[in-house]
Amino acid sequence: MLPLSLLNAAQNKPMLVELKNGETFNGHLVNCDNFMNITLREVYQTSAEGDRFWKLKECYIRGSTIKYLRVPDVLLDTVKEEQLRARDASRGARGGAPRGGRGAPARGGRGGARGGPVGRGRGRGRGM
Amino acid sequence: MGGSGPTLDKPKREAILDLGKYLNEKIRVKFTGGREVVGVLKGYDQLLNLVLDNVEETLQPPLPPTRQLGLTVLRGPTITVLSPVDGSEEIENPFTSDGQ
Repeated sequence: MLPLSLLNAAQNKPMLVELKNGETFNGHLVNCDNFMNITLREVYQTSAEGDRFWKLKECYIRGSTIKYLRVPDVLLDTVKEEQLRARDASRGARGGAPRGGRGAPARGGRGGARGGPVGRGRGRGRGM
Repeated sequence: MGGSGPTLDKPKREAILDLGKYLNEKIRVKFTGGREVVGVLKGYDQLLNLVLDNVEETLQPPLPPTRQLGLTVLRGPTITVLSPVDGSEEIENPFTSDGQ
């Protein structure tokens, strides 16, 4: 689970971004790059003191000024499932033979229940 | 590294922000260190260096509220936040007393 994969998967999801200077931005992620530069849409900006607020149609934020981003919890599950699917796909493509070789047999069935044990129950909600 | 197609979705080589849509529009720009200006976008490059016209710097409280800077070149690497003035406004607390 890489930070930037999580961020990439957060496109079009709501998120909160806090800058090093304390300003916060609540909005939907439009785009991001590997510098963690991001663009948001329908943004609520809050001053560092928390006493002034702005509504912005969209905004660009330089990655190096970000302190942290809060993203929806469910993203974790989404990303994990995507990773598993990607791994299965690449294994299938490379091996030619659908499973078999390379230690695959232990894992058995395709997709489906695999998502079961991961995720959920991490609790704590959004707290916002 | 050739990559197999034009739509590699991992590395974002091109800018994630198309500044073309802001040309001749008023934008607000914040810098590292806290300075802030508003001006009309006249030009830009891939490093996010900007040319702004009719620039007005917003100063912090002890100083007079603004000062006029005219035509300026803004250095990309010091820019932290950029947003269009059109469609942006100061509002009352939208989070209604939950204190975040």
